Amino acid sequence: MIENFLAGSAALFGDWTTISIFVFGVIGGMLFGAIPGVSMLTLAAILLPFTAGLTAAQGVMLFAVIYCTGTYGGAITAILFNIPGAPENAPTAFDGYPMTQQGKSGKAVGAAVLCSAIGGVASALVMMAATEPLAQWAISNIGPPEIFALVFFGLAVASSVGARTIWKGWISVLIGLLIATIGQDPVGGINRYNFGVSDLAAGIAFVPAILGFFAVSEIFVQAERKAGGTYVAPKVSLSFPTILELWMHKIAVIRSILVGFFCGILPGIGATLAAFMGYGEAVRWSKDRESFGKGNMEGVISSETANNAATGAAMIPLLALGLPGGALTAMMVAVFQMHDLQPGPLVFYTSPDLIWIVFAAMFYANLSILIIGVVETKTILNLLKIPFHFLAPLILMLATIGAYISRGLVLDVMVMFLAGILGYLLRRSGYSIPGIVLGLILGKIGEQNFAQGMQMVHYDLWTYFSRPICTLLIAAGTITLATSVYRAFAQAGKEA
Amino acid sequence: MKTFFGAVAFAAAIATGGATHAFECAVSEASMEKPGGFPERALTMIVPYGPAGGSGQVAGAMAEAVTSLTGVAINRDHKPGGSGTVGMTAYMSAPADGYNVLEHIDDASSAHALDSSNPNPAVDLIPLVISQVTFSQIYIRTNETRYSDWPSFVEWVKAQDGKATIANVSKEGSMERVTMKFITDATGMSIQQISFDKGAPRYGALLGGQVDALFEQPGDVRNFLDAGNFKPILTIFDERPGVFADTPTHREMGMEFDPLLRFRGFYVHKDAPADRIEWLKWAFQRGYCEDSYQAFNESKFMTVIDSYRDTDGAKELIMRSIDQYRDVYTAMGLDVK
Repeated sequence: MIENFLAGSAALFGDWTTISIFVFGVIGGMLFGAIPGVSMLTLAAILLPFTAGLTAAQGVMLFAVIYCTGTYGGAITAILFNIPGAPENAPTAFDGYPMTQQGKSGKAVGAAVLCSAIGGVASALVMMAATEPLAQWAISNIGPPEIFALVFFGLAVASSVGARTIWKGWISVLIGLLIATIGQDPVGGINRYNFGVSDLAAGIAFVPAILGFFAVSEIFVQAERKAGGTYVAPKVSLSFPTILELWMHKIAVIRSILVGFFCGILPGIGATLAAFMGYGEAVRWSKDRESFGKGNMEGVISSETANNAATGAAMIPLLALGLPGGALTAMMVAVFQMHDLQPGPLVFYTSPDLIWIVFAAMFYANLSILIIGVVETKTILNLLKIPFHFLAPLILMLATIGAYISRGLVLDVMVMFLAGILGYLLRRSGYSIPGIVLGLILGKIGEQNFAQGMQMVHYDLWTYFSRPICTLLIAAGTITLATSVYRAFAQAGKEA
Repeated sequence: MKTFFGAVAFAAAIATGGATHAFECAVSEASMEKPGGFPERALTMIVPYGPAGGSGQVAGAMAEAVTSLTGVAINRDHKPGGSGTVGMTAYMSAPADGYNVLEHIDDASSAHALDSSNPNPAVDLIPLVISQVTFSQIYIRTNETRYSDWPSFVEWVKAQDGKATIANVSKEGSMERVTMKFITDATGMSIQQISFDKGAPRYGALLGGQVDALFEQPGDVRNFLDAGNFKPILTIFDERPGVFADTPTHREMGMEFDPLLRFRGFYVHKDAPADRIEWLKWAFQRGYCEDSYQAFNESKFMTVIDSYRDTDGAKELIMRSIDQYRDVYTAMGLDVK
């Protein structure tokens, strides 16, 4: 493996064209990942035709690099302005933005930079070591029932995040789950709650909903404070977390690498579920659950470690089996095909050079997050010095463009503002925005897999329990749920 | 290593007997004067699916071919969701000036067959060209030991008493669900359909043994065929295509139904100016003949049968499909509007 890695590194840095493509991918991925709406997918779609003019290795390598740095890019805007660049950065905003408000933006961004790099590098190393056996294990043992059980397990802790009481936490999650049911049902294609609006048949898209719930509702909250004379501008902090502070979260980092990696190797799942599951596990294992959603650095660490850990993992089913894990890896299939190649087991025999250039590039791209992240952060943090009356319209404009541009539908802009108003009202009443977003995103994934799983077990729910991994996850989720309900009653008893 | 050699052998078979349908460009004019200077700016192509799927790829290949032929840029605007309804609605509300074209698949025909308030692609739109026509097959894993061909598969499925599974996109009224109804009615077997809307989980389900078989079109699983992972056991087409000479057709297996085809094509609004429609027809039909597009179609197994339909051929294919779907929906007891 080391010899192959060194050969891949030599090929990567052996000529200026390949180096230039690598650098372009690193910077382009970060930029497009950071701007809401225009994600790394936008950049990939623009670049796709141009990859025909590159060699196969350069084309696939470019996309792999964009995938790594683009997944990290959205963390910065999530932390500084409550605008996640993409759904996989949404959990980063849960605690990252409260940290900014508390004058700890430097620590939040520093943690995101470092943990994205750690998650990505660890994932790249495992990818290099065990691509083929891991891919085979994942597709043989994990099907829709297991993915549903994983989502159930993740949702079981969602009530703990950011709400004033556990009951309000649960209502927030249920609102998210309800919103997730809008649109065609995932297996039968039957329209639900679209009220004759054909655009709603596709459901509520993640990007406008997240922009509304986070960015727009936050502007309403801050505007209210400004009008009431209670607005306090966030302090600009350039102090990064210390080694000791990060060392204290080592268990969270390891756990998130495992969670992110596991989610990443499942075909069609990818970084979004990884980030939410990583965050959920941080909450589950914390002794101070109530601090999540209010500026706990472990929330940022877990989310960013997990989503970048999913990037290397998502390459495993793609390269070993030809199964793309998400939209960007699906575009990589097109890059392969443009060069008369097919990703899958044969590629390891027919194009080993390509494989190892890609592996090496992903390793170095994740390392470069650390270097470029530290340099750019010092500059970006100064954006917080912009006065609110200039910053708020700028954020609203960016969010509106971001909501519209992802699908080109006016409906999405309306959804964003409605979500903003709903989010604003619910926050005032002590409900949890992270809870709603968790319900929305995990609800869509969970419902689809539940329905597919029910078809697989012939609509016999008990057959779910004949699958060991599924049983384990559902049992663990049920215990968490029961504990949560017990704690809610105990809390109510104490207050009485 | 055994799989590797099997795959190489399969790839060699494709290479030697691959393109069974002789290609001849049906449009003789190599150029056509722009009517009144149209188009003076880039065209917009609305694609009702994501950029990475089959529609996204064919849209990209055709846009590249037309641009290379005419010098006119084409911007692709992907509007996925609702089984193509979001993109279709967006297209129908876009200006009918010839600058907006639509990519769509046979789902538009089946949607109209089920509910006539949905646009009829042969009446409300003008088909510029249908550039991909393909058939479906049933696949099993190559290393499957419980069955090895269609008769043994049917026998095994019957013995499972409804517990056997097949992965497809079995949304209500879809081509997959209708074809599976034909097959189960004809064979008397009962099989549970598992609906996966994305390709990767669908193919992963068969590779990993989560399901027993897969319903798909050959171009979409070409890499698994090349790699020797999947093996077709039934071709749902009237004759055996050369590449799949060893795979029986549904008719040979005693199933007497007209196969439903998957097709992808390009359309313009019927109210667009007539001279612009004519130019667009020429550009897209000639674009089909471009080397780059032909190479793309070949890589997708789309040259195995005749993939080309001009405007009249497309209208005929669409109307026949609509009639076929409507008959089946009525027989299935669906609420045909």
